[in-house]
Amino acid sequence: MIEIELGAELVLRDPETQQPLAPKQQPGYYPGYSTLGQKGYWDATTRRAVEDRVYNVPPIRFFTEDELLTITVACERILPQSDRLPARRIPIVPHIDERLYKNEIDGYRFAGMPSDRDAYRLGIRAIEDMARSIHKQPFVDLEPLKQDFILKSLHDGKPLVPHKVWEAMSVSRFWHMIVQDCVSAYYSHPWAWDEIGYGGPAYPRAYTRLENGLPEPWEVDEQRYEWAAPAESLSDTYEPGDDPGSVSGQGGTH
Amino acid sequence: MKSPLFGSFSKPDTDEKILGPMQRISLKKMRRFPESEPVDYVVVGIGSAGGVLCQRLAKAGFSVIGLEAGPFWDTERDWVSDEKGSRKLYWNDLRITGGEDPLAFGENNSGKGVGGGSVHWAAFAPRFHPSDFRVYSEDGVGCDWPISYEDLKPYYELLEREMPVSGPAHFPWGDPHGYPYGPHPVGGVGNTLIKGCTKLGIPVVAGGPVAILAGSHGDRPHCIYRGFCIQGCKVGAKASTLITHVPEAIEYGAEIRDRSMVFRVSMKSKTGADGVFYHDEDGREHFQRAKALIVAGYAIETPRLLLNSACPGHERGLANSSNTVGRYLMAQAGNVILGRFADLVRMYKAPPAHALTEHFYETDPVRGFARGFAIQTVGPLPIAFAKQMMKAKGAWGWGMRRVMMDYNHWSSLGLLGEILPWPDNRVELAEEKDQFGIPVAKITFTLHENDKKMIEFGKKVVMEVMWAAGAEEVVQESRYAHLVGAARMGDDPSSSVVDKFGRTHDVSNLFVCDGSILPTQGSANPGLTIQALAARTADYLISQGERIFESDRRDMTTPPIRRELAVKGAFVHGIPRFWN
Repeated sequence: MIEIELGAELVLRDPETQQPLAPKQQPGYYPGYSTLGQKGYWDATTRRAVEDRVYNVPPIRFFTEDELLTITVACERILPQSDRLPARRIPIVPHIDERLYKNEIDGYRFAGMPSDRDAYRLGIRAIEDMARSIHKQPFVDLEPLKQDFILKSLHDGKPLVPHKVWEAMSVSRFWHMIVQDCVSAYYSHPWAWDEIGYGGPAYPRAYTRLENGLPEPWEVDEQRYEWAAPAESLSDTYEPGDDPGSVSGQGGTH
Repeated sequence: MKSPLFGSFSKPDTDEKILGPMQRISLKKMRRFPESEPVDYVVVGIGSAGGVLCQRLAKAGFSVIGLEAGPFWDTERDWVSDEKGSRKLYWNDLRITGGEDPLAFGENNSGKGVGGGSVHWAAFAPRFHPSDFRVYSEDGVGCDWPISYEDLKPYYELLEREMPVSGPAHFPWGDPHGYPYGPHPVGGVGNTLIKGCTKLGIPVVAGGPVAILAGSHGDRPHCIYRGFCIQGCKVGAKASTLITHVPEAIEYGAEIRDRSMVFRVSMKSKTGADGVFYHDEDGREHFQRAKALIVAGYAIETPRLLLNSACPGHERGLANSSNTVGRYLMAQAGNVILGRFADLVRMYKAPPAHALTEHFYETDPVRGFARGFAIQTVGPLPIAFAKQMMKAKGAWGWGMRRVMMDYNHWSSLGLLGEILPWPDNRVELAEEKDQFGIPVAKITFTLHENDKKMIEFGKKVVMEVMWAAGAEEVVQESRYAHLVGAARMGDDPSSSVVDKFGRTHDVSNLFVCDGSILPTQGSANPGLTIQALAARTADYLISQGERIFESDRRDMTTPPIRRELAVKGAFVHGIPRFWN
């Protein structure tokens, strides 16, 4: 494992009294909710697939040591987890590495884009070069805020410094790919389902309360609190990024 | 009970496939044909159309092989109630996508494995409207179909029973009709659509039409509202040809040969094919002889196969004398409009597809564009929703974590808008090759003026509906749904690939039957129409008998409908008809 800076704890407040709250064992508004606690009611194939995700984290086989360092720190900013107990952080990079190692693609590639494998190698190099050309330091050694400025420039589709990599591939398509890979790893994990109050697998048992967002007997009611992201971050806002048109991951729709 | 039930209610034999908790089929008993002997029909691709074709032709007594690139699924042991774990259901092989508005493939619109796209469709099953068949005559855009709504209507009625479709007793748009199964209960997203439309005075229907059982049907249980429709229905409540038509095809003697990727059609003469070349899963090359062929690979793989089958006399690709193979590819505008509500919604419960309005379906000259759109419910699971938030709100980092913690407060509606057929929206061959050394498809897609106006207008209407339902925040993501066209049917061999029965104009024993033959697409999900066309093509082939194999002469007589070939149990239920 790579030791990286964890960032500050979140500041949690009671929405009514505005009094500070103690840090949560489990982030999110559904205290004590555990989808894995329901696994005895799932079908065997689903249970194996979800347990495999939790207990069998794949080894690193695609990224080089240097690439691994950069991508790990970048993913810590793209999907920060410093509010989670270290033992309850969700592996992101091992799943990206496994996808690239197995060359699993989404069924298409945008004309003009390199392969997903090459896109990651090129993108990581460009991020690293950007850090060194602006700050004369490796990306991983930068303060979180400086890391966020670099990443946000990719989100905006306007890298802080020109790089020949961005002449060969679209900044925004690369950004979308890495964000999508991060959310796919994070929100496929049952600990993330607990955080967002998602019911998870329900076969063969069924959902029986469809109205008014009511919880199943085994789900938990929402208990909201307010929280502030660490001051040294740029990502707790919503600014539409550069939109190059269609992206992948359009499931769940019609 | 010591331990909870784990889905399947009994342990299967090793050679059995489980199709839902109660249905079993034994592949050991499946008939196997030798490659050297020509069978009557080889069907390439066992999806929505291929499953129906195999069932009909086998039941009528023809020898049939269905070749499918993907695996023959066992729904209990292969499928999961899990978003990420379902990627194997999709056609994930490389395609190159370009143009000004490139399309996404894979999980968005492309299935692989027996049942094809019908395994992962959301199962909305509306009919096309009568006007869809004469778009050019009525609006001067697109083109007319070589058949009318009345030609297809009896097949719509038949397939609605075979799937079967649940929905309102009175569906008011297009040609008004009812459904064999009653409407489903309404979930969070359905409630959003109904409340929003009702407030604005827009007519709306709830609970369907969707090919998901609202009551049990033979050895298929009713829906349990777990929301994993597009991850493959382990319950067996959602119709896919894997569970509706393929079992009966096998029972009547068809062979389904899975993991068989067809890459070239073989020609015995200028106008006659004699078989197909395919790769098995180990990459070994095979040749299967057949007296006639039906290509049913959907709107990308069908034109790819025809183009890759170029040979002397067919230098531009097979059945492409008109230079229209691959052209007039269509996807529907599928913008997703997302609204955040103060109250909880929990949109992961209930089928994503369960309420819609076709109030804006037809051309309204006041809007300034031809044709229209529908509004439908959608229900993204967490990963899909996170990707939508990335696109719609630019979320990442702590902002992504924050909005995802509100997942249960969001509801979503989908635009389904008619994009017109354009010759420059097309499938060609790329220079890159797949794992078998066969050129992959290169797709070019660009919106035209009418399309853009429709999307702008439709998007605004759906956003108004979302606001009217009580949302506090409304955002949207642009995307596209479904794929049709690229081997269109028509009467004129110089501007279409197949005739009105799916026979290619150039090769007398080569047929195309899938979404690619649609000349226009309406604002209706294409699954029902594809299956209805497949049943109609099957009736034509059965009526023609041996002549298909022996003669170049085309008999364009419309065949009688053969209701007796419908899957068993299709006529158990009556259909409410209270509007007459």
